[in-house]
Amino acid sequence: MFTLLFKTIRDKRFFILGWSLGLAFLGFAMTAFYPSFNGGQIDELLTSLPPALEGLVGNLQDWRSLPGYVGSQIFDIRLPIFISILSILLAVSITVGEEDKGQLRTLVSLPLSRRRIVTGKWLAMVLLCLIASIAPLVGVEVGLLAIGETIDQMVLIRLGLFTWLLVTSLATVIFAIGLATGNRALTTGLGIILTIGSFLVSTFSQAVDWLKDYEWLSLFHYFPATDIAKGTIEWWNAVFYVVLLLLALVAVYLFFPRRDIKAE
Amino acid sequence: MTTILETKNVTKQYSGVAAVSDVSFAVKKGEVVGFVGLNGAGKSTTINMLLGFQRPSQGEVYLFGEKVTLPNAHKSHRRIGFATGDMSLFDDMTGEQYLAFVARSHGQKLRTETFTQLVDRFEPQLNKKLKTLSRGNKQKIALVAAFMMNPDLVILDEPSSGLDPLMQQHFLELVREATERGVTIFMSSHYLNEVVDVCSRILLIKKGKLVKDMPASELETTAGKLVRVTTKTKVMPPKTAELVERETRGEVQLLQFVFRGTAIRLQEWIGSLPQLQDLTVSDDSALAAFEDLYEEEAR
Repeated sequence: MFTLLFKTIRDKRFFILGWSLGLAFLGFAMTAFYPSFNGGQIDELLTSLPPALEGLVGNLQDWRSLPGYVGSQIFDIRLPIFISILSILLAVSITVGEEDKGQLRTLVSLPLSRRRIVTGKWLAMVLLCLIASIAPLVGVEVGLLAIGETIDQMVLIRLGLFTWLLVTSLATVIFAIGLATGNRALTTGLGIILTIGSFLVSTFSQAVDWLKDYEWLSLFHYFPATDIAKGTIEWWNAVFYVVLLLLALVAVYLFFPRRDIKAE
Repeated sequence: MTTILETKNVTKQYSGVAAVSDVSFAVKKGEVVGFVGLNGAGKSTTINMLLGFQRPSQGEVYLFGEKVTLPNAHKSHRRIGFATGDMSLFDDMTGEQYLAFVARSHGQKLRTETFTQLVDRFEPQLNKKLKTLSRGNKQKIALVAAFMMNPDLVILDEPSSGLDPLMQQHFLELVREATERGVTIFMSSHYLNEVVDVCSRILLIKKGKLVKDMPASELETTAGKLVRVTTKTKVMPPKTAELVERETRGEVQLLQFVFRGTAIRLQEWIGSLPQLQDLTVSDDSALAAFEDLYEEEAR
């Protein structure tokens, strides 16, 4: 299992390095912009912005405090979409990507049980998701140093934890579809629908009344970053991600050992 | 003798079309079995089912006496070496890293006596990334991986495609040596001379059906030898020969024929020739014999 875990991490080292640098830069840059937004113009914006646009730019009241701004602008609006793209690319490449190249067949020819293959790859993916979730926190910390501000470390840790839960559960769902079906189009398609669907529902439910009833369908709904930034945390949201992840794992452990590996 | 590998009425269908149909055979310990057929005949599909990559639509596969199912196939893989002619290796690794990965997956370390012998034989490029290697050099790595864990059974799918003639000879030597140690080998190949050379038995598959199961010597006999003799007196070819050409050039007679029979009978005939000037004996293509057999089975 560890042999495969280390192999997968090794295979994806440049991928995760690139993404981590990008996400860290996002955290740093957005934090460093904060002093520019925290001036008198914010009150003018608050009165002029139509409430319907809040889904796109966040609640401007949150901008009045640094934790609110970080929670809203980084962890609520931008990070989920970027990190969801990362989870699609990562999960697709270590499942159907390797199968299409014939590498999964080579792996299955070795004395490794299919369940060990699932476990090794999944654990590697969880660790890679952890690295990707820590990266924006590092960026925020550097940004805070640059502007001479501080945020309660527990707030950042909770935001990081929920980012990890979001990316890991989404990646696990895509991973499960990939290994259970071996179908690249289906895996990628469902991954994109989940991500874009979640983004659209979460963004436009502020403005489109009937969408509010379907907000629970969005994966991002269970990551209320602005509330977490203000110190409010609903642990049921974390339970949702864990349950989703476990269901996906059960599915992949059930189906992958029983299906044909794609012939070259 | 112990049965190492067995298929019982194995069928594999894709979208209702049979790629392999009702195939049954058994391979005993120490046998070297050649699995031959044209492209798309069902060789690779059969091998995929033997190794538990794919589930038979009907029928059963047994390895070392145990029924193969997809979830438990890995249990027998500890005793099996496997290589294909176009095996997808892990491109981002060097040859040595890949082989170390294979060894670790067997719960062993890489540096064994067998590994050293195989490296000396094939001289693979161990320190270069696999993605930078030519097909032949990747193939050497795949063959080292297949044999280095001292397997009881080696399953090979077009194993020497991509190898240069010298390496192909090294590969055939390796197969012969493994057979002497009692290793069972099941190999599909496009090179019929190679199959005839090392295999004790040949399975012929056509359109997914096993059409012939015969000793390799039978194909060798069927293939025959192309004999060309030059004598000073007129001679008659052996009774079983198929005349290709007879010509008189000045004072010498030129006779060319295909001889299908044992080597001893051919030797006796040559020994009886008066005033022999020149003699060449070459392999009539095993491919021709294979084609004959293939056509024969189709009729």
